[in-house]
Amino acid sequence: MIEANGLTMRYGKKTAVDDVTFTVHPGRVTGFLGPNGAGKSTTMRLIVGLDHPTRGTVTVNGRRYDQHRAPMQEVGSLLDAKAVHTGRSAYNHLLAMGATHGIGKTRVREVIEMTGLETVAKKRVGGFSLGMGQRLGIASALLGDPHTLILDEPVNGLDPEGVVWVRNLVRFFAGEGRTVFLSSHLMSEMALTADHIIVVGRGKVLADAPVAEIVARAAGTTVRVCSPQAARLVELLAGPGITVTSTTPQWLEVTGSTARKIGEVAAAAQLVLHELTPVNASLEEAYMALTQESVEYHSTSTGLKRLHPDDPTHPGAALALSGTEGQTR
Amino acid sequence: MSTDALAPPAATSSQAGSRTNDVRLTFPRVVKSEWIKFRTLRSTIWTLAITLALMVGVVALLSAIGASQSDGRETGNGSSIVVLTAATALAQLAVTILGVLVITGEYSTGMIRSTLAAVPRRLPALWAKGVVLAASIFVVSSVAVAVSLGIMQLLLGAKGQAPDLGDADTARVLVGVPLYLTGIALFAFAIGAVLRHSAGALATVIGLLLVIENLFLFPWKPFQLISPFLPGTAGSRIMTPQAQIDLMSQAARAQGSVGAVLSPWQGYGVLLAWVAVLLTVAAVLLRRRNA
Repeated sequence: MIEANGLTMRYGKKTAVDDVTFTVHPGRVTGFLGPNGAGKSTTMRLIVGLDHPTRGTVTVNGRRYDQHRAPMQEVGSLLDAKAVHTGRSAYNHLLAMGATHGIGKTRVREVIEMTGLETVAKKRVGGFSLGMGQRLGIASALLGDPHTLILDEPVNGLDPEGVVWVRNLVRFFAGEGRTVFLSSHLMSEMALTADHIIVVGRGKVLADAPVAEIVARAAGTTVRVCSPQAARLVELLAGPGITVTSTTPQWLEVTGSTARKIGEVAAAAQLVLHELTPVNASLEEAYMALTQESVEYHSTSTGLKRLHPDDPTHPGAALALSGTEGQTR
Repeated sequence: MSTDALAPPAATSSQAGSRTNDVRLTFPRVVKSEWIKFRTLRSTIWTLAITLALMVGVVALLSAIGASQSDGRETGNGSSIVVLTAATALAQLAVTILGVLVITGEYSTGMIRSTLAAVPRRLPALWAKGVVLAASIFVVSSVAVAVSLGIMQLLLGAKGQAPDLGDADTARVLVGVPLYLTGIALFAFAIGAVLRHSAGALATVIGLLLVIENLFLFPWKPFQLISPFLPGTAGSRIMTPQAQIDLMSQAARAQGSVGAVLSPWQGYGVLLAWVAVLLTVAAVLLRRRNA
């Protein structure tokens, strides 16, 4: 269990994490979702003590990470696939990491095998591709057979097989009752992997709920209706929590109701329906709706530029979904 | 991932039961980890090899020159040991580079984040690095001294100019060489830990040892007061024969120097004090700074 309480991190004038409070429970996969610069990586660095919070606390299973007798057994973390000396082989890197906790060659070979690094284990890490580096990072996280797994953008640079493998791995870990916390800026990946999602933007928690609820909350369920008597139907549907929008005379988009209810209302009033289609907001849409206001950066050829959140035409929000997360700071 | 890896990752826990008992972070283990890191980098091995080659090479060269220029009539007064002092002055560059890179290499590659995630209290990692560095340098430079002695015996022995191992001052120099190199390596290491950048730290240490300290030899009163306490000047006393020290202090006094004259062990103490202060600063910064 990871518990963050009023966690705040400032770098100079910039507030990377702003009074964040959340709990990551064992036995399920918790996704940590947000656009670039939302504070995901910083929060994870704070959990394992790489950064010191300006304010607030964060504990893993009731203690600060550095207070544990066997930190690597408590938390396995992949925060940065590049946190490896480029001149050392993957095997030796893992051997050195494990040695701090008395973890020996047997386990090192095990995690190498698990992550499919056998063929490159004796090669120097400097020549690794992004995907191989990522696997090495995951191998390192698994070394201590930890109770808690923290992975920052674990599928970055992995091939489809690798993505599936990571998904299975974290599901398996959670199934064993361990705590899994993984970040991504890809909603679709989260939807397939996570049970629960914490959405952050601009250093603040925007949502903390089960996946289904996030989708429902952010977009609701829309039903598309086509009827020659659309105007009459609008009158009948009117009620609390129900919104009807219309773009063309016969077409309605109804939120806050269900296709079934609308169909019944129409039948009772003997109205003709040409179409009645429930439209589930995609997870991407849900995510965009949540983070729209908090997308902080968008890339330009000249570097980083502040995005005006009230400018809906700005491409920043879309870029946050397709770009790869910057790991350097 | 290979297809095998797609199999249920049951292996994650299959071995857990047997291992969990003693999986724990301890200082000796951190030292072991640092030793693995130290020996698994080619740069480390190369630098140590260069240190060894440099010392032995310079000793061999100077001894050969000495042997060829000696007519054999001067009987050995043991002053040939000064050859070793000269070789060490050169070898200290290699040692300095190693001392700096051991720590700054982790910062430049990002490795430090893995290290500190594994050793979140941080200081054990710093001390362990220091221990591994000091032990390695001490051992390698001791070997270099032993090999050098053999070479001197070979080249100068016949002329009676090989160092006299029975002489207390000579013995102190022989021990002093590894001690000096170890001290300088730790000094460089501490600077590296404070500055965290390879180039900056190297420039600082080498600039200090080779340029600044020589500038301070300029006969100007404030310089004369400070000079004996600079790390290289002070520390190198431990590997300088007494005869040489006497010669230097006589020359200095002739120039009207007001600077202190430190004994070999006092000088070495000053170097160690530099190391202690800088390592303390490095430790405080390591605890405080974000990795």
